[in-house]
Amino acid sequence: MDLAFTPEELAFREEIRTWVKANLPAEISKKVHSAMRLTRDDLQRWAKILGKKGWLGWGWPEQFGGPGWTAVQKHLFEEECALAGAPRVVPFGPVMVAPVIMAFGNAEQQKRFLPGIASGEVWWSQGYSEPGSGSDLASLKTRADRVGDKYIVNGQKTWTTLGQYGEWIFCLVRTSNEGKPQTGISFLLIDMKTPGITVRPIKLLDGECEVNEVWFDNVEVPAENLIGEENKGWNYAKHLLAHERTNIADVNRAKRELERLKRIAKTEGVYDDMRFRDEISKLEVDIVALEMLVLRVLSAEKSGKNSLDIAGLLKIKGSEIQQRYSELMMMAAGPYSLPFIFEAMDAGWQGDFPGHEVSNAPLAANYFNMRKTTIYGGSNEVQRNIVAQVVLG
Amino acid sequence: MDFDFSDDQEQLRDAVRKWVDKGYTFDRRREITSAGGFDRAAYTELAELGLCGLYVSEDHGGMGMGPVEGMVVMEELGRGIVMEPVQQALISGAVLEGYAPDALKAEWLPKIAGGEAIVVLAQQERKSRYNIHKCDAQAQQQEGQWNITGTKSVVAVGDHADAFLVPAMAAGKLALFLVAKGAKGSATSGYVTQDGARAAELTLSQTPASLVTLDGQTALSHAVDIGIASVCAEAVGVMDKTLAITVDYMNTRKQFNTTIATFQALRHRVADMKMQLELGRSMSYYASLKLNTPVAERHQAMARAKYQLGNSMRFVGQQSVQLHGGIGVTDEYIVSHYFKKLTQLEMTFGDTLHHLGEVSNSMQDTAGVFA
Repeated sequence: MDLAFTPEELAFREEIRTWVKANLPAEISKKVHSAMRLTRDDLQRWAKILGKKGWLGWGWPEQFGGPGWTAVQKHLFEEECALAGAPRVVPFGPVMVAPVIMAFGNAEQQKRFLPGIASGEVWWSQGYSEPGSGSDLASLKTRADRVGDKYIVNGQKTWTTLGQYGEWIFCLVRTSNEGKPQTGISFLLIDMKTPGITVRPIKLLDGECEVNEVWFDNVEVPAENLIGEENKGWNYAKHLLAHERTNIADVNRAKRELERLKRIAKTEGVYDDMRFRDEISKLEVDIVALEMLVLRVLSAEKSGKNSLDIAGLLKIKGSEIQQRYSELMMMAAGPYSLPFIFEAMDAGWQGDFPGHEVSNAPLAANYFNMRKTTIYGGSNEVQRNIVAQVVLG
Repeated sequence: MDFDFSDDQEQLRDAVRKWVDKGYTFDRRREITSAGGFDRAAYTELAELGLCGLYVSEDHGGMGMGPVEGMVVMEELGRGIVMEPVQQALISGAVLEGYAPDALKAEWLPKIAGGEAIVVLAQQERKSRYNIHKCDAQAQQQEGQWNITGTKSVVAVGDHADAFLVPAMAAGKLALFLVAKGAKGSATSGYVTQDGARAAELTLSQTPASLVTLDGQTALSHAVDIGIASVCAEAVGVMDKTLAITVDYMNTRKQFNTTIATFQALRHRVADMKMQLELGRSMSYYASLKLNTPVAERHQAMARAKYQLGNSMRFVGQQSVQLHGGIGVTDEYIVSHYFKKLTQLEMTFGDTLHHLGEVSNSMQDTAGVFA
């Protein structure tokens, strides 16, 4: 047992730190450190910088053009990016659909889709949830009927994150009504420019349009866009979830945001108020404990000696921590988090924010936005079901 | 960064677990409590496994092992809610090794390692609560001989201990002494504690004592931090078993014509218990792996760990009783004894509010655990 990283891992971290420092545009990291609004261009710009270096697919094996890093190296890369103030990589392409294409797509599909994902050129979206299928995802109804060498897709997806920018979308679609709901689902890649697709942004409680509804009206999709076998899509989606374990805890970002919380608490004069400070302390211990949990998972992956079936715990704790730091930031600013001036969240806004501290502008909006974290990716109640299943049988 | 146990550590774990399973049954434990809360024979069996000399150097007849081995042992003892004070042997072994003059080491360490002498930390005073810097006991030196006057409370094993590590003020500065059992002017008054074990009040009146170190601050803070790490590890073992007992019960007990393990409200409670257990286990690892770091870093780590473990223990203990229903509050059934142990451990070496205060006091601007 040893808490310290190896000299090789430390050298790797240093290499990443140096590169990120030299390549992350300052105007982007400044926005991230103060939670200002990020534009599509900001996100694309950073994705392409990573893509050019070959690191947008930082989790990819070498055979598909990735760096072939170990679990610990991936973690260190994510940590250095987060601490430096890099935007979160939009995960749908490089983190979510790419591993499925690698594992279950054919050589043709791999050649066709992976380069555009690795470079950051193509924006991918995820089409899983439907109006009637949230936690019970397997009940999804969007149909794909095989007609000749095409699928005809009809139905509606929702909560499609940043789908208004999407160029391609990977969807779970129903190709059969036989047997259990899980066994009639297929995994389909769809060009979002295809006629019959309508995207409508949904305005959320923070005033932003982060998610969308996507309608499919007789959309023709070439059969060659089917991943793997028909009716096996549920297995592929599950494979994806199994490969996204520590990432979901987002502990690296939590460490950065804890520092920001302390800065805000100082500015607002509550850092030395013991009642407030104790709340920061509790959060700090939570974050240390989460980090230890993440490191235990990484260590188990590294040695292969013991497996830790605690992905559900990581999701629950990680999301609760995200909510808590956003909540405390808002509470630190108190009444000065209340003015809702939409433009004040744009970098470079020249107005005078009430209280003269423009970094308070996004605090309440972020707090509202973070309520999503215990709902998405399998709600925390669903996660508790999963954890209980492991413990109780 | 590596959280695997070595083969030797796994063997140590197996040896202790085997002894707990076979040698320390619930019936035996119950008899020990009825007889006063301490059994020398059981302590000797633990010493024969080498556990009392874990932190004693090989030169002095011990095993010269480190915090991870200490953690493994304490986890397993926790699993069986063993009352005999191996933890005190870890503390006194490490503190005497680290701070005592050679003669004192030679006199006591081999006996600690062999189990012939139980040397316990007697730091608690009525007015100090968890503040180890607050000490009313006074030490004076006359003609080369130190004498101590003061009262110490809730001293582990108490009237069965063979010597006490006693902090006292010497010329306004905290020093640490060793007082042998039965020394002139000393008296103990023993009692059973809530967890079924034994403790005592220790009064000293002009009692002769051997000086361990004049830098009592450093030695005592180290002693308490070793205590914290071992309480954390012990707590993980107790919680692990508490959850296992609860899960077994839920899969057996039927109400409304089905096992209560099928009810979602209860299943979610179990998920929350598992969360607290795993956060606690993670922070116990953290505590043990930070035990040999520089004092400020060590101290901060112990406070963080004990804060987490305190919360975890209270939650797991209370919920285990709740999920059992009526049987959970009986003396006859085992789970109440685990609950009481968890409760007592929360208040050992600083409770949760105390350590929250320590975390707040030592808070730094940067959040990095490694960064």
